[in-house]
Amino acid sequence: MKVGLRLFLSSGAFAIVIAVVYWLLAREPAGTILLGFLAFALSFIAGYMIVAEREADLWGDDAQAKNTEAVGEVVGTYSVRSPLPIVSAAALTCVGLGLVVSPTIAVMGIIAIFALGALFIVQSS
Amino acid sequence: MTTARATLARQPRADLLSWITTTDHKRIGILYLTTSLVYFGVAGLLALAIRTQLARPANDFVGVHTYAQLFTLHGTAMIFLFVAPFALGLANFLLPLQIGAPDMAFPRLNATSYWMFLFGGLVIFAGAATNEGAAATGWTAYAPLSEIKISTGLGQDLWIVGVFIVSVATILTSINFITTVFVYRAPGMTMWRIPIFAWEMVATSLLIFMAFPALAADLLLLFVDRNFGGHAFDPAYGGSALLWQHLFWFFGHPEVYVMILPYFGVISEIIPVFSRKPIFGYTGIVLAAFAIAGLSMGVWAHHMFTTGAVDDPFFSFMSFLIAVPTGVKFFDWIATMWGGSISFETPMLFALGFLVNFLLGGITGVMIASPPIDFQAHQSYFIVAHMHYVLGGGSLFAIFAALFFWWPKMFGRKLREGLGAWSFWLLFIGFNVTFLPMHFMGLEGMPRRVYTYDATGVLPLLNAIATAGSYLMAIGVLVFLWNVVVSAFDRTPVGDDPWEANSLEWATTSPPPEYNFDRLPPIRSDRPVFDARHPERDPSAVR
Repeated sequence: MKVGLRLFLSSGAFAIVIAVVYWLLAREPAGTILLGFLAFALSFIAGYMIVAEREADLWGDDAQAKNTEAVGEVVGTYSVRSPLPIVSAAALTCVGLGLVVSPTIAVMGIIAIFALGALFIVQSS
Repeated sequence: MTTARATLARQPRADLLSWITTTDHKRIGILYLTTSLVYFGVAGLLALAIRTQLARPANDFVGVHTYAQLFTLHGTAMIFLFVAPFALGLANFLLPLQIGAPDMAFPRLNATSYWMFLFGGLVIFAGAATNEGAAATGWTAYAPLSEIKISTGLGQDLWIVGVFIVSVATILTSINFITTVFVYRAPGMTMWRIPIFAWEMVATSLLIFMAFPALAADLLLLFVDRNFGGHAFDPAYGGSALLWQHLFWFFGHPEVYVMILPYFGVISEIIPVFSRKPIFGYTGIVLAAFAIAGLSMGVWAHHMFTTGAVDDPFFSFMSFLIAVPTGVKFFDWIATMWGGSISFETPMLFALGFLVNFLLGGITGVMIASPPIDFQAHQSYFIVAHMHYVLGGGSLFAIFAALFFWWPKMFGRKLREGLGAWSFWLLFIGFNVTFLPMHFMGLEGMPRRVYTYDATGVLPLLNAIATAGSYLMAIGVLVFLWNVVVSAFDRTPVGDDPWEANSLEWATTSPPPEYNFDRLPPIRSDRPVFDARHPERDPSAVR
């Protein structure tokens, strides 16, 4: 995680420098705002990672870690298959398609998204 | 030796429903690869139609409006539905295997991204079924050309929606990749031991995360302009047509690196294996990837030099700078081969083809980073040649290299070497016969995206040569398809590690089992499989 943190910190710092230099040289608002948002987003993630880093204790960060030390550790429950992805992608596509072709299709897509959200919450709880 | 235990919810199945509902990263990877290759086939047929139209002047193979739709769908499919998604598919299959993880961090999100990519592509092509046909504004869809006053058909709206869906799917995938690599590495697999392909995918994911939101915002603004009375790009109402270009190229130039960085990773995996040497300059290659990613965020307006409304020196300087880290990679690849025991199996042939073609594309890229040259070459066939040398000669050759290299791991059997060599030479010769003349067409003043051209001078000859080359490339692709069919009937077991490679995916079976590894070798360097083959060697001397 330390490498990841350094990555986002340096990327954020680079974006800030570029945004300032660009504004000083070009005085052009669209590009400056885009670079400014970029700097903010990268800095925000870096800030989050500083907090997350405190709790992170990853086997992958330990150069001397042995596989045997991690035997039996539960890393999560993985469902081999789920109908949710294809249905939710279809629902999202219906919303976009409906905005072009027919509002009815868009409404059906929105209803499907809410239904899937409810199903997901029920499954998770 | 097993690293960790993942709870097996259900046993894997092999029927159609199990593929549709799968959340296994390997299957999703294969779905991505297959779908993107189908889109490549369609986009390739569109390209053949374009080249047939241009085979001779004043040709009437297709109509003017159809021609505009052809080059729009060709560019859109190649960029949004093939070159970049193929890399996502490859990374889907490989990343967890290379870092010793049981799956991606968010398997269901991963599957959702794939289906959004598939559906988004279908929505883009659905425009062709509407009364006024598909979008016809080029893959760049410049406003005001793409505004409702000029492009009145539903096809343009479907293009906007389809590309938007694909871009959101790509952003979700990038978050998945970054999280997986940062958090799910096996014991001992420190960040400085992960394969270079994994590093390149981290850089690519970072680029996607930084660049694609600008595209999504651009598309939303255009959609509002067209359907809800917005005026974001209409100067008559206080909007700005240049705003489209700023937002589009803020995404568009990094997108070029989204389409090439993963393939730098592919080449960095293949060259050491077939040179029988460790990669030269691991750290330099990794840092160069992030230098390219960072610099690429500050070069977008070199596509806008001729507008006269951007800071030419700033963007020119930044564009020139990118050549430095790219050169670092090139020298590292050459140094890897230097003194190595090189063998010329098909993946290596395609990797060498990549080096030659990408070098030519890179050099013309440096040329047009200079505003005086860009003013001459802008919107000409010189630009068409440049971008195809980067994305066709570069990415496409790396894609074939990847297919031949990892095919045994994916399917447990090899593609045939003889047919592979035929594919390579047909594609390599065909590619250069097609696109090398386009430099000269551009210098002769032939604009891009034109339906016909002047019958006098050298343009008819150059266009005829380019068209012949495109047919040669098509034959090369057909030979590859035949190779796939032939290999499907080949039951010869290929073994876990047929190339005697280095990274962790070669430590498991071909194809890998559910959750990837029954057992992992100790990870004490960036070449754990090599270390396992050579226990006499002390890996503690390296990273």
